[in-house]
Amino acid sequence: MTQAQIIAARLALLAAVLAAWALLPKYGVLDPRLLPALGDVLEMLVKQLGRPLVHEAIGVTALEVIVAFVIAVPLGAAIGVAAAEFEYFGQIFKPMLFYVFSVPKSIFLPMFILVFGIGFPQKVAYAAFSTVFIVIMSATAAVESVKADHVLVARSCGATRAQILLRVYVPSMFPVLLEALRISMIFNFTGVMIAEMYASRTGIGHLIANWGENYQMPELFAGVILLAVVAICFNEAVRALEARVSKWRT
Amino acid sequence: MSAIEVERLSHVYAGAEGGVPALEDISLKVEAGKFVVIVGPSGCGKTSLLMMLAGLRHQTTGTILCDGRPITDPDPSRVGVVFQEASLFPWLSALDNTEFPLALRGDPREERRRRAEAMLNLVGLQGFGARFPHELSGGMKQRVSIARGLVQDPPVLLMDEPFAALDEQTRMTMGHELLRIWSQTRKTVVFITHSLTEAVYLADEVLVMSPRPGRIVDRITIDLPRPRTYEMMATDTFGKLRERIWQQIRKPEGAH
Repeated sequence: MTQAQIIAARLALLAAVLAAWALLPKYGVLDPRLLPALGDVLEMLVKQLGRPLVHEAIGVTALEVIVAFVIAVPLGAAIGVAAAEFEYFGQIFKPMLFYVFSVPKSIFLPMFILVFGIGFPQKVAYAAFSTVFIVIMSATAAVESVKADHVLVARSCGATRAQILLRVYVPSMFPVLLEALRISMIFNFTGVMIAEMYASRTGIGHLIANWGENYQMPELFAGVILLAVVAICFNEAVRALEARVSKWRT
Repeated sequence: MSAIEVERLSHVYAGAEGGVPALEDISLKVEAGKFVVIVGPSGCGKTSLLMMLAGLRHQTTGTILCDGRPITDPDPSRVGVVFQEASLFPWLSALDNTEFPLALRGDPREERRRRAEAMLNLVGLQGFGARFPHELSGGMKQRVSIARGLVQDPPVLLMDEPFAALDEQTRMTMGHELLRIWSQTRKTVVFITHSLTEAVYLADEVLVMSPRPGRIVDRITIDLPRPRTYEMMATDTFGKLRERIWQQIRKPEGAH
């Protein structure tokens, strides 16, 4: 199959899914009370996007996602780099980090509510907590992807420690770090959503949970589409950047 | 004045049960412009010795002088190093790899472009500056490494089995090319190899090292005329020189 054929097949698949969603509920093949037709959902999405309540929820959720991300990524990166660079620190802390990493973070949510309440700080704290471990793991892997040979070459060329960091570590790690950023955002977004759906008075997650409980299916699916589009856009943007900067890795 | 002077150098590794002697009482002199090849069994410490000449590792005792001054840290203006394969930075183009030492030093952009391009021309890679390492063959990559080693115009070039990963034909071509570059630049070269043929073909003098702890057990002057040709490899003299090195290397431990 050529590249063009593969792309055509992908588009056909997407069109088929959307067409099925648009038509099957209309003709009663699927129950429109459980899966409203695509057209009705999109209409609802436009309507919801016009409501101040929804604007406010989007604003709150966006802020939570950003703040949690800005806390979790540098913190996790610092711990991860330290674990890779300082032998004893790594040997002592790595097993513990791996243990905690393997535990589903959502079981800690009730504790976060007890400590932080159900407002903004709880969402941020919980999302940052559920993200930081994947950042630590990725940062460790990124440091370990730096080749000792390259450091030796740089030293033989007269590089100082700062130059080795800037000209060997950073470019070696950059593609791995971008990938880490992308995956961290998935964890981070999920963390905020879970926290909002579990106990909250605002945010998109809260609205979606409400719509579900009240059996407002067009609203529920409008929310799903909104979040899906945002998440896919972020992911693809970082992936495109990744592909650009890691051409040399082939 | 010798380009390189090593005086009573010894090295001991810190091991689990005390020190492991790696290099023992090595003294050598390399005259400026000479091509010296070091051969020896695996693990004899020849790479360690080269790393010390480059200032990348520190010996336990003894001194190393280069151009009359001690080597304690890497100094690319006095000593260029060419490593085994895969030592190019894969995220930099051939030209940027070649410029790397100049960029570290903070040379103006124009200046280092010009210099790096001249070096790529010297090693036979004119027009390949924009290529990335994954777009170059093994031999071409090592040409870039040589260009990078020479870019600061150091009097001494150290080479650690630079052609070991290449196929036989490319290896022969690269040896020949290296001699051409050497005769054009008149650098002092210290070259490490496992290949006895390569050693005899390239060298003015071959130093043979013993198994660990590494010592220099023989110095063989290669008096084949220059420029060297592939035909010389078939001669008796070439064969005898090769044989003499082989006899030294295969001697069992303690027989030296």
